[in-house]
Amino acid sequence: MKIGLEMHFQLPTRSKLFCSCPTTSAEPNHNICPVCLGYPGSRPSLNRKALEAGLSIARFLDCTIEERVWFSRKTYFYPDLPKNFQITQYESPLGTNGHFDLNGRRIGIWRVHLEEDPGRIKRVGRSGEEIAFVDYNRSGIPLVEIVTAPDLTSPEEARAFIDQLVIELRSLCGLEAQDEQTVRVDANISVGEERVEVKNVQGLRNLEKALKFEAIRQTKLLAAGKKVIRETRRFDEERKVTSSAREKETEEDYGYIGEPDLGEFRIGDMARNLDLKETPLARARRLVSSFGIGEATAKQLVLTSVTLTDLFEELCGHVPPEKAVSWTTGPISGNWAVLQDRARWSDIIQIVKDDAEGQITDNEAKRRILSLAGVQQEAAAEGGDDLAKLISDYVDAHPEVLADYRKNPKAANTVIGHVMKESKGRYSSKEVVEEVKKEMEKRV
Amino acid sequence: MSAVYDLIRYAQLRHRAFTEVVDRLDDGKFHFSAKDNLCADGFQARAGSAVLDGYRPPFDATPIQKMKEVGGQLVGKTTMDEFGFGTFSTNSAHGVPLNPFDLERSCGGSSGGAGAAACLIPGHIALGVSTGGSISGPASFCGVVGLTPTYGRVSRHGLIDYGNSLDKVGLLARSASLIAKHFRTIAGPDPKDPTSCAQPALPEKGKMPRSLAVPKEALQNLDPAVRSSFHDALARFKDIGVEVREVSMPSLRFALPAYYILATSEASTNLARYCGMRFGRREEELNQHFNDFFTGVRSESFGDEAKRRILLGTFCRMVGFRSRYYLKSLAVRQLLIEDYRTIFRDHDAVVTPTMPFVAPRFEDISRMKPLEMYGADVLTVPPNLTGMPHVSLPCAYVQGLPVGMQLVADHWKELDLLEAALAWEKAFEYRFPEVSP
Repeated sequence: MKIGLEMHFQLPTRSKLFCSCPTTSAEPNHNICPVCLGYPGSRPSLNRKALEAGLSIARFLDCTIEERVWFSRKTYFYPDLPKNFQITQYESPLGTNGHFDLNGRRIGIWRVHLEEDPGRIKRVGRSGEEIAFVDYNRSGIPLVEIVTAPDLTSPEEARAFIDQLVIELRSLCGLEAQDEQTVRVDANISVGEERVEVKNVQGLRNLEKALKFEAIRQTKLLAAGKKVIRETRRFDEERKVTSSAREKETEEDYGYIGEPDLGEFRIGDMARNLDLKETPLARARRLVSSFGIGEATAKQLVLTSVTLTDLFEELCGHVPPEKAVSWTTGPISGNWAVLQDRARWSDIIQIVKDDAEGQITDNEAKRRILSLAGVQQEAAAEGGDDLAKLISDYVDAHPEVLADYRKNPKAANTVIGHVMKESKGRYSSKEVVEEVKKEMEKRV
Repeated sequence: MSAVYDLIRYAQLRHRAFTEVVDRLDDGKFHFSAKDNLCADGFQARAGSAVLDGYRPPFDATPIQKMKEVGGQLVGKTTMDEFGFGTFSTNSAHGVPLNPFDLERSCGGSSGGAGAAACLIPGHIALGVSTGGSISGPASFCGVVGLTPTYGRVSRHGLIDYGNSLDKVGLLARSASLIAKHFRTIAGPDPKDPTSCAQPALPEKGKMPRSLAVPKEALQNLDPAVRSSFHDALARFKDIGVEVREVSMPSLRFALPAYYILATSEASTNLARYCGMRFGRREEELNQHFNDFFTGVRSESFGDEAKRRILLGTFCRMVGFRSRYYLKSLAVRQLLIEDYRTIFRDHDAVVTPTMPFVAPRFEDISRMKPLEMYGADVLTVPPNLTGMPHVSLPCAYVQGLPVGMQLVADHWKELDLLEAALAWEKAFEYRFPEVSP
């Protein structure tokens, strides 16, 4: 199975791509001006921040970036498109020929380009008597379009791809948190020879469903000796099926010409001088290769907190990586709200170092860390007994948990959650999990 | 009412130079007008098209705003071909302007109203717009001076687009000195038009051109009277110490087709927005598919020439034709720029007649085929296609009608052209029709 994706993400700028209207949400048709309404005599001027964000993405995806780029007009008539042409990039994208590594597999990136979003149409009323409203607040919102090669091999992989891409882009240029829901995707999928385009799917969950439906549909057709027709299909979110959009089989003719009002942009220096932050998953890969820690641990670290990972890396300069892992994912992360203050880091490092060198016991080291975090000393001093007591008290008070546990061992999570909360991070999650399991097994 | 106001009304009523004028003149301000494709607060901006009937823009075009800032009063909007599509101002939904020298003849186009206003009202400055010759043409037929600046010299913010890579706001008036004064006002970078932000600053003073080049290819197919008066003008230039040399510029013949391909390609996208939804003319019947709604408004409101250019331009942009026409024309434009530059290594300006004939009669125009009309732009299109500044000056009178000549300079050298124009005016006296309002 081959799947290629065209993804559209909103870039996190304060103003629109070609005018100074805000990108924040507002009453319908409030964030509008002559430019994003396409009034005669208005003309676009490019938002530099959007260009920078787009170039960061192109560079992050290791694309080839030309010295000069320009914009194009893509002409089609639709009520949500004020000028009846969209300003986009056609011959001259920001980047081409890049790649993204998905769990060790290289997924090709064909192109990255900027374009303006059209407005939004809202239909109300009974079918047949609908009234269509157009809200132009979205008109001119900056989008980045990322097009992959057909290198993805399953709907699950397509979803994982976007999932991981979003993690990286969020850290790289601050994409919004809800992008998994708002990403708009056109997907090309072929089980046999002929490909089908599923257009305008919104959100990751819908994408996976649409692709799964389409994979099964194509597989069944082929199994029955029928042909898959090359066409554009739409995904019905309610019924969770794709259906033919009844469009022409060849690509629509948009009559592209250059956008003369914007001219050419020399982007070479801008692209070279951008300071790209290390993204979380790339960092996780580096941690695995530099420190030899497990992939899952590395991911857990980078996705928990950037600064916690910073501390981890500092610790690795003083103690073996496995020590650094157990301390950062254990007592330190448990009290991160206090310990993230960098002023305390030299003390933390000293304690962990003393422990690793055998100058103090593990328990003493933990006591010192907790003391640094301001956790009650006496409670901590009671050590293991206290943990066992917390667990048994809770299980005594909630016999139903034990009953549930007999049917499904996952019921232990209730106890774990409670104890983690009660102990306020004095014990690592590993310790709690082990102790709870021991107690439950004993009682069963 | 003042004498000037009487002249404005006369130009409006008798010569249809204006679509709208103010009720009264403000004390202490100078009067200027703007072509109807320049947006101005307080006026409709219809660009000669019925599709924009009722459109009142919420802002002033930058050149208008700048003229107001130095004490100008916008006294009216001038008639024009629909969106600038024409050479005779006959493709207008709001009145065809009539020539100041002969009511049965054309003012030229597409800034025909501007040409008439500049001629009929002494001291008047008319903002015009040129895409392929729409300032030079009317200046020639109406016997006034018309300056088309370098592409990107004057902000296009507030200009209703014809061909964005070709459109230039310029000036028409009775004398070069009046134009020189106001050219400084409207020139300069404007963040609202990024293409205006790459210009070099205007120098203190221009340099008088000492050597003029006459491309022999430009002298074919001229009306004999125009040809002989142009040769007289060249002799007069020599008399005032300017060298005149014939040169060859074979690429000139590619200019016209390349221009019409680029201009209509861009125009067909610019005109897409006129669909009766957000501004201008509205369709009453809302209960229909948007495609039918748009088609209805566009079929009813656009004139024949606008429809012709939308079809031509859309055709040139289509897959399969795009590289044969649109992309090739972009290359022709570069070729022409290089050829002009080669000439400018040895000469300061290129000079030709402005139009191949004097202002034609409306009855003759009505018999012309579209291609013959396009052919009338043969001398004005080359500098427009290449974005080079040019000025049209009256250089002779044939049977009472003015003949124009056009000087072209290298990019950004408008002031050199104005020096030549000022020198010309000392050697040649302009004539204007008797006006008795």
